Amino acid sequence: MLAIDARDVEKTFRSGWFGRRETPALRGVSLTVERGSIVGVLGPNGAGKTTLLSILATLLTPDRGRVLVLGHDVVREAGALRRRLNMASGRPSFLWSLRVGEIIAFYGRLYGLSGARLRRRVDTLIELCELGSYRRVPYSDLSTGLKQRVALAKSLVNDPELLFLDEPTLGLDPDVSVRVREHIARLRREQGITIVLTTHYMREADELCDEIAFIKAGRILSRGTPGELKRQIRLGEVIALRLDPPAVTWLAEAPGVLRCVEADGWVECTVDEAEKRLPELLRALHNDGVVIRNVQVREPELEEVFVELAK
Amino acid sequence: MSWRNELLAVWAVTLRNALMGARNVFFFFELLFWPVVGVLSIGLMSRFLELTPAQASFVLVGTIALSVINVCQLEVAYAVLLDVWSKSLKHQFLAPIGIRHLTLGSWVVGMVRSSVVFLLLAALGWWAFDFEVLRPGWLALATFLLGCFLTAWVVGVAVCALITLFGNRAEAFAWATVNLVLVLAGIYYPVSVLPGWIAAIARAIPLTYFLDAYRSYYGFPSEFAAPVATGLALSVLYGALAHWAFLAAIQRARRTGLLLKMSE
Repeated sequence: MLAIDARDVEKTFRSGWFGRRETPALRGVSLTVERGSIVGVLGPNGAGKTTLLSILATLLTPDRGRVLVLGHDVVREAGALRRRLNMASGRPSFLWSLRVGEIIAFYGRLYGLSGARLRRRVDTLIELCELGSYRRVPYSDLSTGLKQRVALAKSLVNDPELLFLDEPTLGLDPDVSVRVREHIARLRREQGITIVLTTHYMREADELCDEIAFIKAGRILSRGTPGELKRQIRLGEVIALRLDPPAVTWLAEAPGVLRCVEADGWVECTVDEAEKRLPELLRALHNDGVVIRNVQVREPELEEVFVELAK
Repeated sequence: MSWRNELLAVWAVTLRNALMGARNVFFFFELLFWPVVGVLSIGLMSRFLELTPAQASFVLVGTIALSVINVCQLEVAYAVLLDVWSKSLKHQFLAPIGIRHLTLGSWVVGMVRSSVVFLLLAALGWWAFDFEVLRPGWLALATFLLGCFLTAWVVGVAVCALITLFGNRAEAFAWATVNLVLVLAGIYYPVSVLPGWIAAIARAIPLTYFLDAYRSYYGFPSEFAAPVATGLALSVLYGALAHWAFLAAIQRARRTGLLLKMSE
């Protein structure tokens, strides 16, 4: 069952006198997202990630295309849809002199919570996002990490079925980022929330996302699981070898080896298919009298996929 | 949306504005300092010019109306301005909130705050300049205040629409618009002294009629037939227009991306 079904979405921003300067942001984007999944939208700056998320979250209206989110049309049925989704952004901003508890309660009331239900919900979210010590602290006095946590708490106030996270760990300390990622994974696992996130951190996407859509210049260039994307790009797999003697000249010419680089005492051979090439290489090295001290096989990092696609 | 949820959304905005107001030192100046300075300076000027008690009442009614409308309309404009200043506009409009909740919630706080201003200025006017605010009676006073609140609501919603239409650079409208309206509505003078075409504009402003009706109790015959009914009818008309303009401005901001730009 689809949480998002977007077809041929186009959006152009117009500026200047009479809107004569045009900046195309999305050029026919189609995206489907299964309910209960986590989908990452990756791409370089200005690729259209935030524009796409904003359209899906009803903050922007598309110029063309049809967008159904949780079965609602994002333009005609935006009111009904807003009750069922929420969003947290990596650069959160709320009313500066309201306190943490008051911010969450304010948004809770907008979603129809009141009295004991509202108090319970605020308490739960404050506990969940580890904001207990900051409940009565004004928003302007919070650190970046705490502001992110307030944004996350606010985004959960209506028990959303669909959650948009725009760079949720931007600017966070590594330990806080880890906790936020764990929390996102838990939301999906325990509550079945569908999550669409944008991020610049490839490890985050690799760790969290079931599927990734890579967007560039307003178009989705590639889409699939992190593993599928790596295979699609044909970056190959890496066989890292620690050898004695450390350099073997013929390795780069061996069958199936795409390239070889030496770094920190390791020879890293990118091969078309590690499962097939590893025994061949080990046999050839042994026959050549080379001592093999260590072997590692790894897939390319998602970051390499990103760099390749962004070219 | 159910009635309960409607009221809850209005209450959320009311509470938010009240909390923000209570914690901002500048709001103190809006609430007390400038209104008191206004009444004192106009009252003393009327004494220097040796105005009759009726004439002094005429200008003091104008001064008090100015402060009441200023405070109330600014609060309505805060419906958008608070979020523009703190760059949280997108969170606001991501939630299931309508402009009716925003403007009504802010208006409630505006009415409370400007009622406080009114009481303070009425007491000051009575103590310092023998101005009798209750001489026209409770009903006339209530009608006059309602007229001021309605005018403030119309101007405030129009300012919200302008800010949403033109972005942060339109903030000045929040302070400028109401003063233009007040000058045209004959704040210190009857509109009959205005040049012909400006008087025609004045006749299109609801406040003109509420001021005219209230001042008639201080010995200045009304210039209009049925001023209160005319003022109310015009307020309803402009209120509907301002509401529609704000709604259209929000839709346009969603189309142009201004809603997001104002949140960055």
